Amino acid sequence: MQPYQEEYIANLKEIVALSARRKPDGSSFDAYWEKMCKSRQEIGEKLKRNMELLRGGLFPVLDHLPGSDAAVQEELSEFAGMLLNPKEEWDAGLFTRIHQALLNTARLKNDRDQKVRELYWLGIGRNAICNKLVGLDSSVTEEYVSQMRLCFTEAAAYLKYYDEIADEETKGYILRSRANIALGQFKSVSERVRLLKQTLQIFDDPEYQSKAPGLPWSRYLTMTHQLMAASISYSRENTMTAQDIADIMESVYLVHERRMREAAEKKERPPVRTAFHIGAINYYCGLCSFEELLTKTEKLMDEGDPTDFSMDNMYAVISLPAFYFQFLEQYPESIPKRREYIADLGRRILAYVDLFPDAAENATLSLYLRQVSHTFVEVEGGISYGIFLQKLLIRFAPDIFVHSYVVGKAASVFSGIIFSEEPGFFDDIEEIAAICDQEEKHRQICSYAMRCGVFHDVGKINIMDLYSGLARQWFDDEYEIAHLHAVIGRNCLSERESTKRYAQIAHGHHSWYDGSAHGYPSTYQRLECDCRQMVDVIGLVDWMENVTGLVGQYTGNIKTFDEAVETAVALEGRRFSPLLTARLRDPGIKKQLLGAFEAGQREAYRRLYEENGRDAGR
Amino acid sequence: MENQSMEKDSCRAEELKERIRVLERENALLEEQLKEAEKANWSKSRFLSSMSHDIRTPMNAILGMTSIGLAHIDEKSRVQDCLYKIQTASEHLMSLVNDVLDMSRIDSGRMSLNMEDFSLPDLVHDISVIVRAQAVQKNQELTITIGRIYEEYLSGDPLHLRQILVNIIGNAVKYTQEEGCIQVRFSQRLEEEQLSPEHAGKIWMCFECEDNGFGMSEDFLTRIFEPFERVHNERTRKIEGTGLGMSIVKNLVDRMEGVIRVESEEGVGSCFYVDIPLSAVPQEPAEQKLPKGQKVLVVEAEEERANQIAAFLREAGLDPVTMENGLEAVTALTEAQYEKNMPCALLLGQELADIAALEVAAHVRQLAGKEFPILLVSGEDWAQIEYRATRAGVNAFVPCPLFKSRLLTALSSLVGSGAAEDDGLADHRIDYGSHRVLLVEDIALNQEIAVELLSMIGVQVEAADDGARAVELFEASPEHYYDVIFMDIHMPVMDGYEASRRIRGMDRKDAAEVWIVAMTADAFVEDVRLAKEAGMNEHISKPVDPKRLQEVLFRQFSQE
Repeated sequence: MQPYQEEYIANLKEIVALSARRKPDGSSFDAYWEKMCKSRQEIGEKLKRNMELLRGGLFPVLDHLPGSDAAVQEELSEFAGMLLNPKEEWDAGLFTRIHQALLNTARLKNDRDQKVRELYWLGIGRNAICNKLVGLDSSVTEEYVSQMRLCFTEAAAYLKYYDEIADEETKGYILRSRANIALGQFKSVSERVRLLKQTLQIFDDPEYQSKAPGLPWSRYLTMTHQLMAASISYSRENTMTAQDIADIMESVYLVHERRMREAAEKKERPPVRTAFHIGAINYYCGLCSFEELLTKTEKLMDEGDPTDFSMDNMYAVISLPAFYFQFLEQYPESIPKRREYIADLGRRILAYVDLFPDAAENATLSLYLRQVSHTFVEVEGGISYGIFLQKLLIRFAPDIFVHSYVVGKAASVFSGIIFSEEPGFFDDIEEIAAICDQEEKHRQICSYAMRCGVFHDVGKINIMDLYSGLARQWFDDEYEIAHLHAVIGRNCLSERESTKRYAQIAHGHHSWYDGSAHGYPSTYQRLECDCRQMVDVIGLVDWMENVTGLVGQYTGNIKTFDEAVETAVALEGRRFSPLLTARLRDPGIKKQLLGAFEAGQREAYRRLYEENGRDAGR
Repeated sequence: MENQSMEKDSCRAEELKERIRVLERENALLEEQLKEAEKANWSKSRFLSSMSHDIRTPMNAILGMTSIGLAHIDEKSRVQDCLYKIQTASEHLMSLVNDVLDMSRIDSGRMSLNMEDFSLPDLVHDISVIVRAQAVQKNQELTITIGRIYEEYLSGDPLHLRQILVNIIGNAVKYTQEEGCIQVRFSQRLEEEQLSPEHAGKIWMCFECEDNGFGMSEDFLTRIFEPFERVHNERTRKIEGTGLGMSIVKNLVDRMEGVIRVESEEGVGSCFYVDIPLSAVPQEPAEQKLPKGQKVLVVEAEEERANQIAAFLREAGLDPVTMENGLEAVTALTEAQYEKNMPCALLLGQELADIAALEVAAHVRQLAGKEFPILLVSGEDWAQIEYRATRAGVNAFVPCPLFKSRLLTALSSLVGSGAAEDDGLADHRIDYGSHRVLLVEDIALNQEIAVELLSMIGVQVEAADDGARAVELFEASPEHYYDVIFMDIHMPVMDGYEASRRIRGMDRKDAAEVWIVAMTADAFVEDVRLAKEAGMNEHISKPVDPKRLQEVLFRQFSQE
């Protein structure tokens, strides 16, 4: 690898470690605060350095790629392999960029084998990106899944020329691409089953095997059977035929039942995942009722050990509740009689996370919890969704938490100032307008603004990897994905009673005041929003915190507080409400806002110190 | 004497009887006329009362929105919203007034038909754009299908034809509940001489509009074409209108010597049938320019449309290969490319069975290269999807409802009979040769590739090795000499940002206007912003995708 590549990887690992390291080491809060500020600064410097490395090292190479020799391209492949491989996933975005450039070069040269290889890796990169979009609606993810599938489809099309391809590795890429077409969601399940069935026939065919004896055929078969077995969750859809079910059950037997039998022979507890899948499959095939499925799932969750942090047990304690909640969501009539159980389940999840050693650094735990956040069922007497989200942010996305807290604090101060000047300003919010006592009204407005700030960015939880541990600025397509957080946040918050009030804030805080397409999402209509003044407030302070904070480093748009105020005023009437920017011209208000930003940051870190300290004390 | 007197009396009595009969007849006539007059008066009174309500409603909106706008004059977006609402209300008001004026023109005999040649596809497209927007607002499913068409170019009064058809479909939208269905069918039949000698040689345009809306009572059906008549019931109470639309339609159809009839059942729906005789205007068929016998790949999930496309292509001597899956198409094209047996074009339907059409287009553009024609066949409004579609690599758009001429004209503009010599890059409606491009790129190989690609499109290319040279060349050139500048960013002597800033800062007319495109591998959000801040208009990433170059030039030059 080139020195710039090695340095980039080293910086990347350091940034990830710094981002995750938020645990107090027994020192005072002041020492912790100082350490955090230093760590933020270090992240910023390393990020800046990485951008220099990419601009000075990688991009000139990409510029010259069509005329470069094979060694340069191999070196690039090696660098990409360090960014994303079966063991580690550091930077799928950059991995994808590099392989896209290598594919373009292969196309220009019309090099078949290189084309196949690069199509496969590009598909893998895109699949990694799809996997990061946790719990998003298929209408949102379809675009990314399609891009992945098209790469694998093109590579797999070369199967027709299998016999004339001499290189065994290329044959392997073609075969793996063929199986990988089935990754992600499909419009037609039958189509997926048909595709997998054909793939299994190819992998089972001695003719194919004999022409590439060095390939790991049995691994190919197992992994394809796993993909086929996963199709069972669609079996209740009308589009699935009896033959489809039979084909899937064949794979289910090979993947799961064999494991169950092996465990029974060894007198061991079967893996939780397998036991759950068997139960779910029985339900999907009509062999057991929905009630029986819920009871079996409850039994598996109850058998989870709160002090066992192995992968299998983590699956029982955290991942199964996500599925359980999802089942309940589909049949909400089952919720009332399970109210107490659901309430307890929520507490058990959070208690397990509190005990989990170095929870923040465990990617699987983070993924499972994000799945839970997507399906979370809120019941009376249980943990509220809002509390759950805050815990998740504090533990796994401290930078997003700090940002959100600071926005809340600044919004609260700013709203208080506005209220004292214009008491009817927030009367577009029905609950606020109904309060007669002015002092109480002031208190409610400030408190509402604070909570709006805390929840405005919760949509980022589903695309957390873009905000946490990223070692460079965003590419334009990543920026587009980042835009999704407004709609995701709206959807999550609006579905639960305790967070409904903040849904419009999450939805509209990146819209422009003039309604122009510079803002997003297009689904937010300012004049139809019944809390638009607060959305405007959060939108303004969020932007100011972004350009003066960490997000500014991802977009390359960094400003001082004074510059941010100046720019906001310049965008008056276009991006920001003139009713707000007019107040930014007042030096007194500007000073109070700056104070709120600074105090907010310190308070946010104190929350991190206290929450994580509690964890460290265990 | 007595006899004479008796005769006279008898005559007088007869006269009197006759007089009485006449008077009675006159009285009856007068009574009838009075009744008619009363009925007309009643209709007009009802019309006036209804009109005053209908006029008052948008007027109220206009006045109300004006007050709100004035009260929030500092809130630009609020004022803008008020103005949009005022605009909508004013347009509605204008349509009410137009209806009344039209009716009065018809009544006074001042309405005349303006015969001219017109294209049926254009007429159907115009109508579909207008009515689709109305149906979308009510979440209704509006399908427009085209049956047997003998002649697409016709002679008639297109303006009034449009008025008839928009009125009927507009009524169907109005009087059908939200999420209802409206099916519109266009077809033609040839007049048989023996049946109607006066229309011999004419082509009858047959139009049907069927909905599953509120429907009409038998009683109302007898009065539907009378002026000021409207359906009155609870469901239609809030629907605004003059009650003149159908009367205008009937008058216009009569003047065109056409036939209109309607079938309807309350609570079930209505179906309007309009047949109008028109004359054909022969045109040169587009298929003459197409390469006969060549394969065209058609990917369309909707069977009826796929069959229709295939039939049109077969009629033009082409060999259509149809499939309904995007992934299947990618596999077929990969194999075809490897075997050097590519079809002459890909026709993509808007809805594929497995994957979004534009995603397939984008991938095929990469796979098959810049030269391969990709056409999108879609019922969507092109203006709405043009940006995304051209970015995905779509070369041309074929609107639905599908007409043979539209399909073949679009196809022949891209493939032509001389496709073998065609570079496939340029759109031939544009004279690329008259345009000049300045390419600023320091790496010799990249410069060579880009010059080659640009030359293939047909533009005149001049190259500069760095930003400073580009500034010199621009400064020394006459005004408007260069149409587009492709500017690399990282270059020795002077980078692309600085060069763009200097060009923009020059005191000459074209300094602010020349289109500058950043061309760089730096594809971060910040880079896009920096390029814009330096005065560049857009940003394309490296390695340069020929399709993007083509898009930029096509967009720029077609605007001119």
